[in-house]
Amino acid sequence: MALLELSGLTKRFGAFTALDDISLLIERGEVHCLLGENGAGKSTLCNLVFGVHRPDAGTMTLGGEPFDPRGPAEALQRGVVMVHQHFSLVPNMTVAENLMLGRASAVLKPQDIIVRMEQLAAEYGLEIDPEARIDELSVGERQRVEIIKCLLGDPQLLVLDEPTAVLQPDEIDALLAICRQVALRGKSVILVTHKLGEISRVADRTTVLRQGRIIETVAMEGADIRSLVRSMVGRDVQSAGSVLAAAVDIEGKTPAKSSSVGPTSPGEAVLQISDLVYRDPHGVPRLDGLSLTVGTGEIVGIAGVEGNGQSELGLILAGLAAPSAGAIVVGGTQVTGCTPQEITDAGVGIVPEDRHAVACIKELSVAENLYLGAIGKFSRFGLLDKSARRKAAETMMRDFDVRASSPDVSMASLSGGNQQKAVLARELSLDPLVFLLAAQPTRGLDVGAIEAVYNRIRAARDDGLGVLLISSELEELMAVSDRIAVIYRGKLVGELAAGSFSREAIGAMMSGHAHV
Amino acid sequence: MVMKNPKLAQGTRRKLVPLQVLVPVVSTVIALGIGLLIIAATGASVVEAIEAFWDGMAGSDFNIGASINRAISLALVGLGFIFASRANLTNVGGEGQIAMGGMFATAAALHGAGGLPLGLAFIVPLAVGTVAGAVWGGLAGFLKAARGTNEVISTLLLSFIALPLVYWSVESFHLLRKPISDVSSLPESAEIPDSTKLPLLFPDNGSPLHIGLLIAAIAVVVVWLVLKHSTLGLRLRAVGLNATASRRAGMRTSFYVILAMTVSGGLGGLGGAIMILGQQFYLTSDFSSGYGFDGLVVGLLSRGSAVGVVIGALLFGFLRSGSINMEISAHVPSAVVLICQGLIVIVIAASALLTNRTVTR
Repeated sequence: MALLELSGLTKRFGAFTALDDISLLIERGEVHCLLGENGAGKSTLCNLVFGVHRPDAGTMTLGGEPFDPRGPAEALQRGVVMVHQHFSLVPNMTVAENLMLGRASAVLKPQDIIVRMEQLAAEYGLEIDPEARIDELSVGERQRVEIIKCLLGDPQLLVLDEPTAVLQPDEIDALLAICRQVALRGKSVILVTHKLGEISRVADRTTVLRQGRIIETVAMEGADIRSLVRSMVGRDVQSAGSVLAAAVDIEGKTPAKSSSVGPTSPGEAVLQISDLVYRDPHGVPRLDGLSLTVGTGEIVGIAGVEGNGQSELGLILAGLAAPSAGAIVVGGTQVTGCTPQEITDAGVGIVPEDRHAVACIKELSVAENLYLGAIGKFSRFGLLDKSARRKAAETMMRDFDVRASSPDVSMASLSGGNQQKAVLARELSLDPLVFLLAAQPTRGLDVGAIEAVYNRIRAARDDGLGVLLISSELEELMAVSDRIAVIYRGKLVGELAAGSFSREAIGAMMSGHAHV
Repeated sequence: MVMKNPKLAQGTRRKLVPLQVLVPVVSTVIALGIGLLIIAATGASVVEAIEAFWDGMAGSDFNIGASINRAISLALVGLGFIFASRANLTNVGGEGQIAMGGMFATAAALHGAGGLPLGLAFIVPLAVGTVAGAVWGGLAGFLKAARGTNEVISTLLLSFIALPLVYWSVESFHLLRKPISDVSSLPESAEIPDSTKLPLLFPDNGSPLHIGLLIAAIAVVVVWLVLKHSTLGLRLRAVGLNATASRRAGMRTSFYVILAMTVSGGLGGLGGAIMILGQQFYLTSDFSSGYGFDGLVVGLLSRGSAVGVVIGALLFGFLRSGSINMEISAHVPSAVVLICQGLIVIVIAASALLTNRTVTR
């Protein structure tokens, strides 16, 4: 008998139907993957099972009994646990203290928790120091604490929402092994992901969601990965394209490089970073003597586990943070500690990693966002010439394939992919432009938009721009970069040239284990 | 079955009258209705009260003029409020900005401006009052930009400083207090010279309506243009919505925060100066009595529209005149009107929940 049975689940948010008539069985002892693009309804489905939302129609049963959780507390009581994308741990408390939160009765018994942790370590290989403070742990270790927290109560069903997005390769392997261990003990695991490589490694069955509907549920034995991609996207993605290769990434093979990638011999340096140091407001060094050169006509990728200084590097290049020491020169102009405007004037385009907080203002219209840095360009005597701006925006939207019903609709109404294309359009239309920083440029985008972003970045390179690509997706870096440098604890610890990319070597450097 | 589909009815109504108009109007009517109930409850004659109220608002050319004069200052404070709110700043310090504007305008009028030619006699005090208000507002903007101090708190506290400053100035002989001529001399300034009083628009029919109306009209048009159609308005909006993205796009966010608060305070200061130069003619410690907060409410009710400010200011200006007369003639406490004003605000705030409800994901 199935552990969890969903029949006819429907969930609407206003006029938007997030889930439409979902019927699904989760068997005992299986790892069941939910695959789908952003907005396909994966997270909503998890939230229904965990009681965060309640369905508008349909029923659930758990272990044969009706299951209609009115909140996470009720789901927990019934043995359903969930690890969210964002962790809920108190950073300045220890692992054991965090584990006691929420289940503490009047008397705290730290010893009981430690005994239980030892059991879990033996059963699942979930080793962690109970006395370590959360803020001393890596992201992967923190996630491990979350999983331990879930397993403490011996649940029936473990739901993991995009658990691998923040992990480095060896941590992903460990996580997938844990999932398997949990399933071997008769519990069920629901794993949400959009990475096909993981699915083929761990899933017993996979359900593909698209636009709130189930497209298919397949057993993974003998399944065709490419047909899964087609179900997920709903069309044939350019089959030889690097996107598919990057998305598929079967068993860690280096994806086939598309012909347009090739080290055109890089010219003179457009970006020179020397001995860059950045201390955060607490005095912790986030960048620790980073030096890097990007030449004309090359894409340099920065690989690294998140939190090793990439974000800070991006902020400094954008002029949003001032370095503590070091120098940045763009095309012969000193831009160290300059204002964003001065950096733009030096010919730097920035695609920031946080699209909503930095790249655009979602309440403003598309046209206003396209000319956010040049508000005065369409004005007479301080008054806006909106029709001229609309015309220019329409041209730019056509050139960069930004799909919106009009330049006057709000940025928020666009899909993530179209927002990102608009940001790229704005930054690539800067004049002068010699260097482009693209930080996590495809984060949260669907496959089609990812393809478009890659093509834009490559086209910019072919036009002679120097491009710095910061990404936490190794496959993306290997597919697009001419050279990959690895950042670890605020320093570059190694570099690989095109043709010699290897997941293993990069992964080792990312975790600080080896130098090349 | 005659049951109507309420959703359908709402849908059609929305097309005929925009909700932004409908909501304040309905709120006002409801609040006034409740006000009448309260008047009845106080035991006064409702008919008499309404007559006195109407008479005070618009019973004569004089009363109409006085009502509009009140509306002028309220409109200026309200314009200041929506100007700051375009940059997502909430200036609740209108009271203090009025006080500073009125105090410095009085000082300028009493000390030197009186003898100036060509209308400068009243223009200079107006300008001085505007600058004083601008400094008071700009100070809050500076604190916000430099230290991140919440402008709601700083503008409010600056008001608590400004009001005692006015009190001090009219209490101290070496500042603005007029010399004691007999035992009943109140702590207030001397009357400003005639040349510094604002010229009347209709000097022949006894209406006190003065050229402040033209100044306010110009301010309405300018603020409307700036907020709706200028590059400055767009920049203020961008900075208010997302300071980081605006900074990345090359805007000097601190500058715009300070500018927004300075202009906002300046409009309040101008309103205070007009109150003194237009109708009161001498400074008392409580001359601003609630105008700042009424102006704040006018700004809130307008929902960011300059036209809305004009309507709200006229409404509150007339209500205030009516309530004063109602108290004098019909012995109904003017507090009833204050209660009505409060009710209008609460009803509108509550209905904002209805109209602003959006699809949440």
